[in-house]
Amino acid sequence: MPGILVYASIFCDAVSMPTREMLGMARTIAAKTGEPVSAALLGSGISSLTQSLVEAGADSVYVCDNDKLGEFHANVYLKVLADIAATVNPRIIIFPGETAAMELAPRLAHRLKGGLVTDCIGFEARDDAVVFTKPVYGSKALARMRIASPTALVTVRPRTQEPFGPDAARKGAVVNVQAAIDDVRPETLTVERVEEEVVECTLEAANVVVSGGRGMKDAESFQQLRELAALLNGAVGATRVAVDQGMVPPSCQIGLTGKIVAPEVYFAVGISGASQHIAGMSGSKYIVAINSDPDAPIFSISNVGVVDDYRNVLPTLIEELRKALAK
Amino acid sequence: MHIVVCIKQIVDPEIPSADFKVDFKAKRAVQDQGEPVLNPYDDNAIEVALQLKDRDKDIKVTALTVGGETSQKVLRRALAMGCDEAIWLKDPSFETLDSAGTAAVIARGIRQAGVADLILCGRQAGDWDMGQVGALLAEELRIACIPLAYNVEKKGDTLLVKRETDNGMAVLEVGIPVLLNITNSSSNLPRYPSVKGVLMAGRKQIPTFSARDLSIDSEISNLIVVEELTLPSYDRHVVFMEGEDGPEKAVNLAAHLIKMNLLK
Ligand SMILES: Cc1cc2nc3c(=O)[nH]c(=O)nc-3n(C[C@H](O)[C@H](O)[C@H](O)COP(=O)(O)OP(=O)(O)OC[C@H]3O[C@@H](n4cnc5c(N)ncnc54)[C@H](O)[C@@H]3O)c2cc1C
Ligand SMILES: Nc1ncnc2c1ncn2[C@@H]1O[C@H](COP(=O)(O)O)[C@@H](O)[C@H]1O
Repeated sequence: MPGILVYASIFCDAVSMPTREMLGMARTIAAKTGEPVSAALLGSGISSLTQSLVEAGADSVYVCDNDKLGEFHANVYLKVLADIAATVNPRIIIFPGETAAMELAPRLAHRLKGGLVTDCIGFEARDDAVVFTKPVYGSKALARMRIASPTALVTVRPRTQEPFGPDAARKGAVVNVQAAIDDVRPETLTVERVEEEVVECTLEAANVVVSGGRGMKDAESFQQLRELAALLNGAVGATRVAVDQGMVPPSCQIGLTGKIVAPEVYFAVGISGASQHIAGMSGSKYIVAINSDPDAPIFSISNVGVVDDYRNVLPTLIEELRKALAK
Repeated sequence: MHIVVCIKQIVDPEIPSADFKVDFKAKRAVQDQGEPVLNPYDDNAIEVALQLKDRDKDIKVTALTVGGETSQKVLRRALAMGCDEAIWLKDPSFETLDSAGTAAVIARGIRQAGVADLILCGRQAGDWDMGQVGALLAEELRIACIPLAYNVEKKGDTLLVKRETDNGMAVLEVGIPVLLNITNSSSNLPRYPSVKGVLMAGRKQIPTFSARDLSIDSEISNLIVVEELTLPSYDRHVVFMEGEDGPEKAVNLAAHLIKMNLLK
């Protein structure tokens, strides 16, 4: 019986939301094909999470709980994953589209001689195959891709799939996997780690995002965006160019190769609206653009626009909103 | 130390959506719209290699591409920026390769180039936005691989690699050979080719290798089949804020946002 295997990721000692979404996707495919859904759970001290994977849609959980999996090393994880894949022999392997999948998915695909579609946002379960939808050309086009190999691998963008359940009554099998990793040495040694502190709120969770691009000109100007964001309990985002110019740290980058946000209101200031940026914010409920060029593409996806130099607009906007919101 | 940078020519990713044209039959972008460009992340990768070379003249940097007739241009650009050599893997059968096929061909090309200690790829190519050739290539060559890298320093026989993480950055020590997938950062803003560089690059011989030269006898079959390409549509209608000057438009914008009850 072919099957679907979902790679389970962990966030704050719990099964991550994207993993639940992947299990939801797997259950939708399984509803059509009747094949079993398994989850692969790797880490150290994580055995207690197996039942929540079952409740989230897994029929069986292959768990490898090992001290050596405490710190994430792709090549060590890969060995275990390849062993699990060899046991399960799945038709489809689904990864939540997170950082770890960037290296796990292609490297596992190579080892299994399977094709991989990355950053998938939709799928169609046909009788002969599953066809995956993926934005291409900087999200200017959508491709429907079929994987011709017996094993198909896919990484799926978070927040594009509905999670399943959870259903507390579900029962599933738990299989303990022995890690054959004694002779697998981590490829890298971590010398230093710097974690940024979250200032007000994380970009992904913010109701309001105030973003700036090349038009801001320098790092100091971003202070005005921070002021507006603080007033609206929002977070500050940026384009790739603003990051490259050192105006803000890389963690602020929004877009195809940055964060994907969908706030209630998105302010785009001095941003042209390249498709790769739009890919990260087009899900916003309401988009406000301030740009001195009336032909800037950003206006074509905005709800309201102001054509002017932002320096003539922001100070008054902040002042007016402060007055209005103080009431 | 020998660094190989894998670079790709792509349709200009900055073409606005409104002007972007798709060849629905060939299931890819119309190839001759605008000037094709060097994939921006590969530009960052070249910069990372050249920064290492700036500090150690013994380092040799080779740029390598798999591409058709026009892709010679990105190799010339890489040479003009300061790369020492270029390698062009060119064959009609290479034009429709998927990620796995591309990685397999690059691996053969790298073997032609001799020993490679450090291989740099871009984080993702802005045509198919796959972001997988680098990691596939590392597996193909059975070497270590680091994603989201943006800066490298030599430390004795090893390398110190700065990479982005989910909530910050990390410095990793890694032995060679290793493959890094390069992401953008203010530390690897690509340099422009100098006039002298352009002149020198124009005179340089670029060796090309066909499928036969690489001993690829049978057609490489694709694992990924593109069934259809479509254009998404956005249906938003923008309302422009009127006003004599910026401040007046700002007053109107603030009133509009409040009226729409969008802000709490
Ligand atoms: C594979 C790939 C992935 C990418 N991923 C991302 C990504 O994740 N995120 C991302 O953002 N980009 C990404 N890019 C880059 C993207 O293509 C664009 O280059 C980038 O988004 C442009 O940034 P920008 O709008 O700040 O700059 P520009 O396009 O230069 O626009 C600046 C705008 O500011 C306006 N302006 C100038 N001065 C003022 C002023 N005083 N007041 C008001 N307006 C002013 C100008 O009219 C202009 O419209 C990616 C590219 C590739 C190839
Ligand atoms: N045809 C090619 N020639 C050389 N390098 C390539 C080619 N295709 C992809 N690459 C490299 O692999 C990276 C990732 O590409 P992709 O997986 O297609 O997004 C690119 O940034 C390049 O460094």
